[in-house]
Amino acid sequence: MSGTARILLVDDEAAIQRSLVPLLQTHGYDVEVAGTGQAALKAAADRPPDLIVLDLGLPDLDGTEVCRRLREDSKVPIIILSARDRETDKVRALDLGADDFVTKPFGPEELLARMRVALRRVAADSGEASGLLQAGDLTIDYDRRRVVRGGSEIRLTPKEFELLSLLAKNHDRVLTHRAILKAVWGPNAVNQPEHLWALVAQLRKKIEPDPTAPRYLLSEPWVGYRFATSPPTS
Amino acid sequence: MGGTCRSDAEVAVSSSKLNRMPKWDDLARLAAGVGGVSAATLVYTRWLAASNATTVALTFLLIVLVVAATSRFWVAAVTSVAAMLQFNYFFLPPVGTWTIADPQNWVALFAFLAVSLVASNLADRAREQAREARARRDEVARLFDLSREVLLTTEGRDAIASLARSIARRFDLAYFAITLPRGMEWERFEAGPLAITLDTNQLSLAFAGAQGGLEFDARERTYSGHRTMTVAGQVVRLVPLRVGTKPIGLMAATGRPVEPGTLDALAAVVAIAIERASLLEDRKAAEVARRGEELKTALLASLGHDLRTPLTAIRVAASNLQNAGLAPELQREQSELILEEAERLGRLFENILEMARIDAGTVATDLRWTHPSEVVTAARGQVERLLRDHLIEVAVEPDTPVRIDPRLTASAIAHVLENAAQYAPARSTISVTASVTGEGLVVSVRDRGPGVAPADLPRLFERFYRGSTAQAHTSGTGMGLSIARGLLAAQHGRIWGENAAGGGAQFTLVVPAEAKELAS
Repeated sequence: MSGTARILLVDDEAAIQRSLVPLLQTHGYDVEVAGTGQAALKAAADRPPDLIVLDLGLPDLDGTEVCRRLREDSKVPIIILSARDRETDKVRALDLGADDFVTKPFGPEELLARMRVALRRVAADSGEASGLLQAGDLTIDYDRRRVVRGGSEIRLTPKEFELLSLLAKNHDRVLTHRAILKAVWGPNAVNQPEHLWALVAQLRKKIEPDPTAPRYLLSEPWVGYRFATSPPTS
Repeated sequence: MGGTCRSDAEVAVSSSKLNRMPKWDDLARLAAGVGGVSAATLVYTRWLAASNATTVALTFLLIVLVVAATSRFWVAAVTSVAAMLQFNYFFLPPVGTWTIADPQNWVALFAFLAVSLVASNLADRAREQAREARARRDEVARLFDLSREVLLTTEGRDAIASLARSIARRFDLAYFAITLPRGMEWERFEAGPLAITLDTNQLSLAFAGAQGGLEFDARERTYSGHRTMTVAGQVVRLVPLRVGTKPIGLMAATGRPVEPGTLDALAAVVAIAIERASLLEDRKAAEVARRGEELKTALLASLGHDLRTPLTAIRVAASNLQNAGLAPELQREQSELILEEAERLGRLFENILEMARIDAGTVATDLRWTHPSEVVTAARGQVERLLRDHLIEVAVEPDTPVRIDPRLTASAIAHVLENAAQYAPARSTISVTASVTGEGLVVSVRDRGPGVAPADLPRLFERFYRGSTAQAHTSGTGMGLSIARGLLAAQHGRIWGENAAGGGAQFTLVVPAEAKELAS
């Protein structure tokens, strides 16, 4: 990554600001803090950050609304800070284009890892010509609709390839069940997650070295799936 | 049953005799009847000079019939005798004597008597039926009023007692009681002017009899197994109260006689009322349990946020401190943050504990002589860190010793101060005034914040309720004011909130207390 990444931290809790700012600074990030949704939107417009850490519970605007407005004219990675009792808000924010989430109370490593992945994805997207994705021993050739693992080609059905390429093009982001269903099966299928479960199971059998302990197609329980370019750190 | 018990029939018979006593009404009818006959005689002898006895006889018959139809039998009988005598004397040959020449005329005489007998009997029966119908209608009306009342009963023992009173009043009974078995004892709800004591053994015997099953009592036309017992010269009727066929208690009545059928209906209404009262009580218990559940849900939701933020901050700050490269002033700041957040968590737990104590009713008061100024100082001390951004103005006048629980009072004031600090802007003034009045210790806390929205005023002291507008701005848990109220209630004190005349919110706490005279 060239230069220091600029982070916009949006949270109204003084305690969170006071602990996260030194954390991010000591890890080499440039930090700007916004305590309200309006301030966040203004800061993002005035000085576009490389990544936004957004708390869903803001005093003036709903966090999901901030997310929606940010996405109107920016593709900047957004990481949601959410609480377990705001599950639906979290899923909505992801549907509206947020990239990932961390659930409070979280440890610093958790947040830092998610930020690294999100920033790397942006860097990778801008770097390559995007006809090809290389992750571990898996190569996905979008143009020729081919998937190769360890030198041998994997035969996928058209639906399987569609799902894999959707997740891979959005690698290292959480895609909600709803978003995937809508993209692969169409808007009428959003309430039929069983299609998705079945297809993911098939796909894992074909591409995962160990389908019982997935390395590429990771589940985010009750939220969605993500395609991980680097193996999950446990 | 014991020797004092006997059938109800005797009571009923003695009552109907009361109605057969001669009355002025009957005498008037008799006079009218005899007068009518005499007038007819006068008219026929003086002016019409009637020679045809049949015409006269028909006229007399008519009068006798009218009298019989409207009066009692003896009135009609006397009237017919009078008619017979006059007919004999004035119209039957030989006229002017009591002799009856033609035996055919005896027939006329007996016709009068027979007509009066039959007609008055028929009329009597019709009147009796009308009277019975009226009595039934009255009782039905009373029962109807009563059942309407039953529908309005609330739960609990008071409702049954008031039902007993209402029955005694409506049915005009000298004594009425609802008795319910409670283990070996009988719970009694008594009403009416007469004070008698029901024998427990007899109640138990009657109740055991009612449990034996239903038997048809042909004379009383009832299945329910009425019993009577004599207490202090009063014949008391016992009627089982049944839900379905299962007896749940007994009803005892004495005084005005009431039809057995009415008593049965009454017993059914009372049984329903008792059943309803106990159902309502169960429902209330369920309601309390449900509110408890609601409270837990609200508590969890509230704690969720209030625990997560300090925990996250503490975790991140602690990891920052492990970073060797952190500047010394940042290290200090991070450890400060940890201490503050730990304190915040501690306060949260204190609040939860205090609330649990208030809920369990285990807030013990410990009354001591203390100066109001000490209490205010202690309260400030408890929330010192939270108040450091505000200017606190304290006025205590007079600072006379009062006997209160200083710990609970200070804690309540601290919660109100914390509330003020949360809602009023930084660097604004919070005024605390304390005084000792006839009512006890009065403390008011006034801030220069946005005040309380009128819609929030009635709900201020509800647990977890947070002002609708201020909700987002402050870090309160919605527990403070509710705890303050609970702490004050434990000392029979009270608290209320209002908007001060010059803006801002003002909370007033009153703790009843005795005060020492300044002189002493």
